[in-house]
Parts: sequence; C-alpha cells; structure tokens
Amino acid sequence: MHIRKYDFNYGRRELMKKIAVGAGAGVLMPLHEVIAAGKDISKAYPDELMSIEAITKGKVKTGDYITAANVEHVKDLLDPIVYGQIKDMGRKIKIKATERTPTNLFPGQFYEAMQRNNASGTTAKFNADGNVVTHDNKPWVGGLPFPDPKNGLELQANMAMSWGRGDYNQYAIKETDINPDGNVAYNYDLVWAELQTQARMDGKIFRDMKDLLRFQTVYFTSTADVAGSSFLSTWYYDQRKFPELYGYLPQFKRVRQFPTNQRFEPLIPGVTWFLTDPWAAGDPMLTWGEYKIIERKPMLGAYNTTWSGDRPNWEKPVHGGPKGITFYDTEYELAPEVAILESKPVGYPRAPVGRRLAYVDVRNSLYSGNIRFDRQDKPWVSFETGFGQYVNGSKKVVGADGTTPAYSWIYVMSYDCQNKRMSRAAHAEQCFGGYKSIFNGDHEQMYNKFFTQQALQRLGQV
Amino acid sequence: MNNGGKGALRRAGLATTLATAALAAPSAQAGIFGDDFSWDIGGFVRQETAVSTVGIENPNNQGGNFLQNQTATRQAFLPPGLLPGGQLINWGDIPLPYRSDVKRSDFVDSTDNDFNWVVLRGEVELGAKFGEHWDFVARLRALYQPDVYDDFNANSLDGLQGGIDGGDPRLYHGKVNYFDYFTESGKRGNPLEWTGRNYQAYFPAMVLNYRDGGLNVRVGNQTIAWGQSIYLRVFDVPNGIDLRRHLILDRGLEEFSDKRVPMLSARMTYQVTDSILADAYVGKFQPSVFGNPGTPYNVIPVQFTVHDLYEPSLNDTRFSGGMRLKGDYGDWGWQAAYVNRVNPDGVFRWTNSNVEKPLQGGPGSLASLVNTAYAAKLPAAACGANYDPSLCRRYANTGEAIANSPLEASPGGVYSADEWFTYAGHVRLNGVTGLNAAINDFDGSQDLYATPVENYEQAAAQLNTFFIGAGGSLRGHIAREYFREDVIMLGGSYVNSSDNDFLNELIFNLEAQYIPNRTFTATDLGKNFKQTDEYTISLVVDKWHRFFNEFPGTYIVFEALTKNRSDLVGRLLEGYGGTKERAAPGKKGNANYLVLGFLQPWPNKLYELEFATLFDPDGGIFVQPGVRWHPGGDVTVEGFYNYTNGHLWGKKNNNLIDGLDFAQEFTLRLSYQF
Repeated sequence: MHIRKYDFNYGRRELMKKIAVGAGAGVLMPLHEVIAAGKDISKAYPDELMSIEAITKGKVKTGDYITAANVEHVKDLLDPIVYGQIKDMGRKIKIKATERTPTNLFPGQFYEAMQRNNASGTTAKFNADGNVVTHDNKPWVGGLPFPDPKNGLELQANMAMSWGRGDYNQYAIKETDINPDGNVAYNYDLVWAELQTQARMDGKIFRDMKDLLRFQTVYFTSTADVAGSSFLSTWYYDQRKFPELYGYLPQFKRVRQFPTNQRFEPLIPGVTWFLTDPWAAGDPMLTWGEYKIIERKPMLGAYNTTWSGDRPNWEKPVHGGPKGITFYDTEYELAPEVAILESKPVGYPRAPVGRRLAYVDVRNSLYSGNIRFDRQDKPWVSFETGFGQYVNGSKKVVGADGTTPAYSWIYVMSYDCQNKRMSRAAHAEQCFGGYKSIFNGDHEQMYNKFFTQQALQRLGQV
Repeated sequence: MNNGGKGALRRAGLATTLATAALAAPSAQAGIFGDDFSWDIGGFVRQETAVSTVGIENPNNQGGNFLQNQTATRQAFLPPGLLPGGQLINWGDIPLPYRSDVKRSDFVDSTDNDFNWVVLRGEVELGAKFGEHWDFVARLRALYQPDVYDDFNANSLDGLQGGIDGGDPRLYHGKVNYFDYFTESGKRGNPLEWTGRNYQAYFPAMVLNYRDGGLNVRVGNQTIAWGQSIYLRVFDVPNGIDLRRHLILDRGLEEFSDKRVPMLSARMTYQVTDSILADAYVGKFQPSVFGNPGTPYNVIPVQFTVHDLYEPSLNDTRFSGGMRLKGDYGDWGWQAAYVNRVNPDGVFRWTNSNVEKPLQGGPGSLASLVNTAYAAKLPAAACGANYDPSLCRRYANTGEAIANSPLEASPGGVYSADEWFTYAGHVRLNGVTGLNAAINDFDGSQDLYATPVENYEQAAAQLNTFFIGAGGSLRGHIAREYFREDVIMLGGSYVNSSDNDFLNELIFNLEAQYIPNRTFTATDLGKNFKQTDEYTISLVVDKWHRFFNEFPGTYIVFEALTKNRSDLVGRLLEGYGGTKERAAPGKKGNANYLVLGFLQPWPNKLYELEFATLFDPDGGIFVQPGVRWHPGGDVTVEGFYNYTNGHLWGKKNNNLIDGLDFAQEFTLRLSYQF
C-alpha cells in the first residue's frame, strides 16, 4: 500500500510558488537531476501530479475515455480549446498512464547528448545578442541547452534549437483539411525535412556552416495543383535574422527567392496552420519576445502519446465532428508539470497574432497544446501536437542511433476555432511520391537531395 | 485508395506489386530497386472558356479585318516601269481609267464570335523512382477544341480569283486548323506531339533523371526556365514559346508554364559549392510556334502565307546550349549565363510565292491589259545584257512572273493600299520600304512593272494599281528563318533590411541580357534582315506585405524592363508608328515596360485575388484582375478578366498593346484534379 506523504493540493501549490521565484522544474526534487540520473520521474513529483486517478479523486482512471459526459472532471487539466472540442464537437480522448522513464521522453541520441553535456559540464547561456551559446561562448553543441528551464526564454530555446531533436529528420506527412460542415475539403501529401548544421548530436558543424543553424525543406507531392511546390528555408544561427527562403513553384518552373518575413500565411489552400506554428517555434526565436511562463500546473495532453505503428501507414483512426472524421483517436497522459509559456510576435508589427500560449511539458520541454490568439486576444488556432516514442507492441521504428526507438511528433491537429476548420496531419510511414519518414540518413546525401537550390529544381514538377 | 478515397493508382506503398505490373518481370526487376521503386500518377481535367466582352474579332483573321466594313477607293496609275528606263514618271502621276471602291466584306464574310476560347484540357503526370539515383517523369498534356467558333473557311473564297492556292493546304485551303504545326517541308514541327485539326496531345516533359551527390542530369523532352523576372524574359531564353493555345492571356502568375516549347535536350545541374549552382543544357533547337491562320489568337495577319523553313528532322544538327552560374550569399546573389542558340522566334522575309496564277480579268480589265503588255515584251534572253523590265520579260507570262514574286493573286489578301498600310502599322512594319523590298528582292515583281517608290503616295498608287490588276487582292508570302545568336546575361540580387516594415525584406533583382549582332525581321521584310546589337535590362522587386489583420499578407511584385532595339515580342522599334496614312516613322528611344502584380489570399487561402498589369508608357496597358477559388473536393475555379487598351495616349501603333483590343475577355476555368 502506498502511503500518501503530502496533502492533495501540495503539488499544485508548490508549482504555483515556483512561478513567483523563478525556480526550475520538479516539486520533491529538481527534475533535471532525476532525468540526468535516469530515475523514475515520480521521484520529483507527488502522487497527485503523477496519477489521473489521484488528481480527479477517482473520477477518471487510466484507460478511461474523456468525453462530453465526464470532461467537467478534468476541465482544469485541459487547454480551453481541447475542452471545447470534447464538450461540443464529439471529441473523445483515451487516458494513458503517465510516462515515468526519462529515456522514453527523448530520442536516444538527444538524451545521450544531454548526458554528455552533464558529464563534461557543458552548459548553455545567452550571449550579448540573445543567442544560445555554451558557457565558453561557443555555438551550442546539441541536447537541451537548458535542462532545467527557469524562465520562458530558456524554455523556448529548448524547443527552438533543434526542432526534431535529431541531426536529420524527414517526415512523410498526410494532411487532411476539414470544412466547418465536417466534410473533407482537401487532402495533401508533403515531405518535411530538417538538417541541423549546428546544435547537432554529433557535436560537429555540418560543412563548416558556422553561421547557420539548420536547413528545412517542405515539399508538396500531392495534390496535382500543388505537387512539385517546395520551399527551402536556410536558418541562421543568429535567431534575430529571418531565414532565407527559396521556393520552386510549378507555374514558374524555376527556383526563385521569396520574401520570408511573412510567417503568418497559409502555404496552400485550406490549411489552418502557418509557418509560425510548428514546434511552437516556427520563427527565429528572437523575432518573438516577451517570453513568460505564466503558470505551472499538471495538465492532460498528448505528451508521450501512442504511436499507431500497428496501423496501415501509421495513420490513426478518426472520429468526432459533424461527419465523424474531424479528430484523430488520441491518447493523453497527465503531465505532472506543464509550463504555460506565453510569447508575443514583437518582431512582426503587422502580425495578425497577438500572442501564443504553448503548453510545455517540462520533463522534455515539448509542447502539446499550442494556441495562438488574434490581435483581439481571442483564441484563434490550436496547433495541438502529439509527441511520443515510435513503439507499439512489437512494432518499433528506431531512431538515429539505430537502437533506441525514435521519438518524434506523431500527429498534428490544427484547429481554427474561429472558422471551425480543422487541418490534421499524420506523421506517416510514407506519402504520395514514395517518400518515407526517416530519422537518419547520410547527411551529405540528404543535403544534396533536399537542401540546395539544385535539389528544389529537381524535386519540382517538370 | 488515397486518403481522399480515390486515385487508385497513387500508391507508392504498393511498390512491389506495381513494380511487377510496370516492369512485367516481377521478382527479378523488383529486386533491382528493392523497396526504392515507386511510382505515382496524378493530373487534372479543366474546362477553359473565354467570353469576349467587347465583341471585337481578331483583326489578324479574315472575319475581323480592320477594313472589313470600310470602303477604300482604289485608283490605278500608269506604271513608270511601262516606259523604257522606268524613271520618266512616278507612280501616281498619270491615272488610268481604272478606279473602284472596294469593301472587304464584299469578298470575305465577317465573323461574329461570343467566345474567344473554348477548350477542354487534361494533363497527366507519371513519376517513377528507381532507387536513390534514377527517376523518370512523363507529363502528357491534351486539349480538345470543339467546333464552336464562327470562323473562316478558305473554301468560301473558291469562287473569287480562283481561290487561295499558296501555302500548305492543311493550313490555308479549308477549315481553320487549330493545332497542327507543319513546316514548309510538310513535316510536323514538334517531336512527341500528336495533333489534328481539333486536338493536341504532347509531352511537355518526358525525362529520365539521374542524381548523384550535387550532380543532377536530366535527359529528354523538357523545358528550362531561368531568372527571377516573371513574365519578362531576360534570363528565360532556353525555350521558345507556343502561342497556339490561349496566346499569353492566361493567368499572369502562371507565367509561361504551359507556353514553353519543350526541347529534346540534356540538362545538367551541379551544386559547385554550397553557394554556387551551375546549370547547363544542350538541346535540339525547337522553334516558337505561332497560331495557325484563323485561330482565335492568331498573331500573323492572314493576308500573309507563311513558309516555315524549320527542318524538324532529327538529323538537323542545329543545337542550342548554354550555361548559367548562380551564386547566393545571404542577402546578396548573382547570376551569369551564356547561351549560344538558334533564336526560336525566327525572323521573316518576303519569299517567292511559287503560285503560278496569271492576273485574272475580263476583256478590257487592267489584268487583261497587263497580261497583254507583258506578253508583248521581249524574252529576257533576247534582250541579253540590255535587259530592261519595260521591254523585256524573264518569264513566259504574268502567272510565272507572279510566282517569282512574294505575291499571289488570290482572294483573302490585301485589297487596297489602305489595308496594306493599316496592317503594316499593325505588325510594326514599314509599308513603303516593305513594298520596295518586295520589288527589289524579286525578279518577278520587277518584271511585272513594279518599281521602287520614294514615299507613301507613290507606294499607295502602285499598290492600288496592282490590287486592281490582280482582280481583287494580293496575298503576301513570307518565309520564316532561324539564326544563331550569342546571349550573354548578368544579374544581381539583394534583399533589403529596414526598420520600415514596407521596405523590409524587399528583394531586388537586376537582370541584363546582351545579344551582339542579333538578327531581326527587317521592317521591310527584306532578304538581308536587320542585324544589330540588342540589350535588355530588367529590375524586379518582390515583397510580402500585410495590409489587413484579417487577411494574409499580400504578395507584390514590381518589374521594369527596357529594350533598345525591339519590343517585348521581338518586333523592331523602327517599325513602330505606321498607320493607314503613313509609313512607320519608328520609335525614338527604348521600349519600356512596367509590370505590377499582386496576390491577395483570403484566410485559409480558399480564395485568392490576383492582379497583374503590363504597362507601356507610350500609351498601352494590359490589366488582368482575377479570382481563384478552392471550394474543396479537388475542384478549383478560376476567373479572370483581360482588359487591354492601346490607345491611352500617344500615336497609333506606338505601344505594345495597340492591336490587342480583341483580347478583352473574361475567362472561366473549372478544374478537377485526380
């Protein structure tokens, strides 16, 4: 029998106190120490923050579904848009047990890099320009720069420096856009590829590109009207600078340079997400500002959600909405400590966005809820992302180290609550055009395949 | 079985099965490429309809002739060449008792079309990947043109002057042929293209692609686009343009996407360094294609018969090739290119009509008089070294002489001097020197008492005399030839940063092209053409700017271009300004153009408002507002209006747009993609 050491609201009170003093994560002990030691996460949190049963006083249990019938019991554990989806749109969410093992919260290589940094005493700081550097003023070397984020900027840096937490990631994506009436409006297939030039797991600088952070290419393979469209963003290490953007549009038949400061535009018809949304860090970090953790509390979210590797093409079943196809079937878990990170697009005077709230799980500095608000401070789009390990029963996809399971995003549901439109995107095994999701690759080969102007020209529709 | 529930052939995931089907050798072939073999297929069908909003017919076609309903007075004069020495009098000095009023519609029916363009289009693209290094892409484009136009049938003129005899019968002797491209040799001009009167199917792309590291080689039928300028072609020189379809009147933002003529070629791109890209090609020269006579957007007046001297044989050794280097360094970039090519647009000159048809007229007619006078002349052999066209003839009769001139005494040609000069101005030629070249370059013309003139009045007098003598109209025959040229190009780009939001992230691109000793169509259509140096410079500025909180940012592009010798479509500026009343005085200074375009998406990009305009500061403007709607369900609706005005100010025929009034139309396109 487990003996309760603390009263029911002890954990929540402690989390609230930490906001005031700018303390790091963890209640019973510093979370980063638990993670560094590879210990059970519960060493850092009391029971009521680790158990849905405990926090709801038995009203909801692991394995239960949250539906309109019982959502009130967990209202304060959900972000407001997810709450509305469950209450009014027929969404249901299955509750899974809270993940306790640190190595299950990161890609293996990424966790290794963090351990390496710990061992070598490598820490991060912000230099005079506001960019992340090591304690000895060198470019960041990989892993979480701030394993114990104490403020909003550090938390944002953790999400911004290495989006996919691997040196190379290639995502085959199947996107479906749903009309307000619940019908499918568009289906798109695309490839999203990222190559880190710095802040890499191997600690090296790719091709000696010291002024760059990463390359990222998005390449649409279907439908016919957008097939062949591709955009290559070259990100500077200096997060005050906008990326360079080159694009291939089928109608132009050639690679052209495009302005890049407009990050709040739909790339293709029907989508609700903008470039600014992915990773809750879609823009250079220092082009946003006023980062502030406004609350720390336990929350339900698609933190460490379940990968559908047992299903064809890894695509999840759907349900809910007017036609029963609006939402993926998803599993949420109770994250013991979620930092609600507010930020504002201070570098974009004409942005239609007033602020963003990212609901970040401090165990691994990954968000699940990610809501942007309009200039009138009305909720606009929820860019909900489910992250998790690529393990499901006997099915497993290994990560970049070739041994441990991959850890990546699994799905996105980008819901425009003002216009009632849903864009849902599945991280699929492969997409139209034969492109597969991979978590490793020959970096030189991938560079030539996706990240040069020549590559865009070749990928483009002939 | 795609995520939208259709497109059964889309599955790359069926790799093994499809490899079996595609390669017909299941296990062995699949083994070569393993899991890396995949293929996919997709495409769209689209109905395209353009409705004329002004009811103006294309003046380049028979039924829309500028002079169709105007009466022109023709007066014949005594040819100076009738008198020995040919210089005692001038044209117009001594009238003959032959005078007539002529109205073109008395000979050729006018047409009245509500629709400028009605076509069903389909495109299918097949892609196949074989392992990491190889892939194959084939794109098939097909169009069907129903018979919906009130158009011209050459057979309707069979009862006049013996009908039209010259030119390829498939293009000039019957119904309008919408798509065939035949050269003078009677062969089809484009490889991998299948056409008929009403349909066209071809492969704008069929390429095999090989990639290894920074090297990419693409071989097959393909198009190549270079440069940052949209619509204004400075670096975009590798391919010709196909004007058989909707001219260049489609959505401005589509640029020349379906207009470039594919070329059998090999293209190699190589990423030399992280910042420098090399791009080279060599290909079999393939000319631009003009619309056939009588087609809705025909640009060559039908009074001409064109003899296209392109030789499409695969044995043609004329190749075009070039190389471009492009470097990008953050906010700065540059590009440099050299192309040695056969200019695909070609140039035109007068050519023998080879139509042996004597002047026709009853007793007492001017034709009869000329035939008699001509027959009375001494054969040239008898004149020996003392040949004088007043007294000697090189040919047996006037029919043979005309065959050795660039003229054909047939209907549907030019009926009056008014029409001659009107159309010379319209196509930016010189009506006086054009007449002289048609005489000086051809024995047959000189033999028929034609003599060079010094001014508009003399030219008009001579022309009207010949039109009366022809018994109606004369058709002109021109040859299209192609010449090699060197194209040297340089460009630079810069991305501006500024605290001023409107000035921030402006992308500037300056591009320049220089062609030494370029061959142009001479404004007299003379056999020696015109050779001179030409430069073209363009400045392009791109910008995204958010004007409204509620709407996504607006994409804005501004372009300016200047050319020192020819206009945007390659016509010499010295041929500008001609009218019915005068020969072309030429245009002073450069041809200059301004382009402003923007794209304003709606939230979620369900609608897109588009705007494009081409402005010629000499008084012409082309404006194209449009809307694109994505209602979902794989359907796209596009509507755009083309407004043209070539008469804003200034002199007639002195800007690019003048003469395009007929192209004012609303186009609706409905697409379904699969």
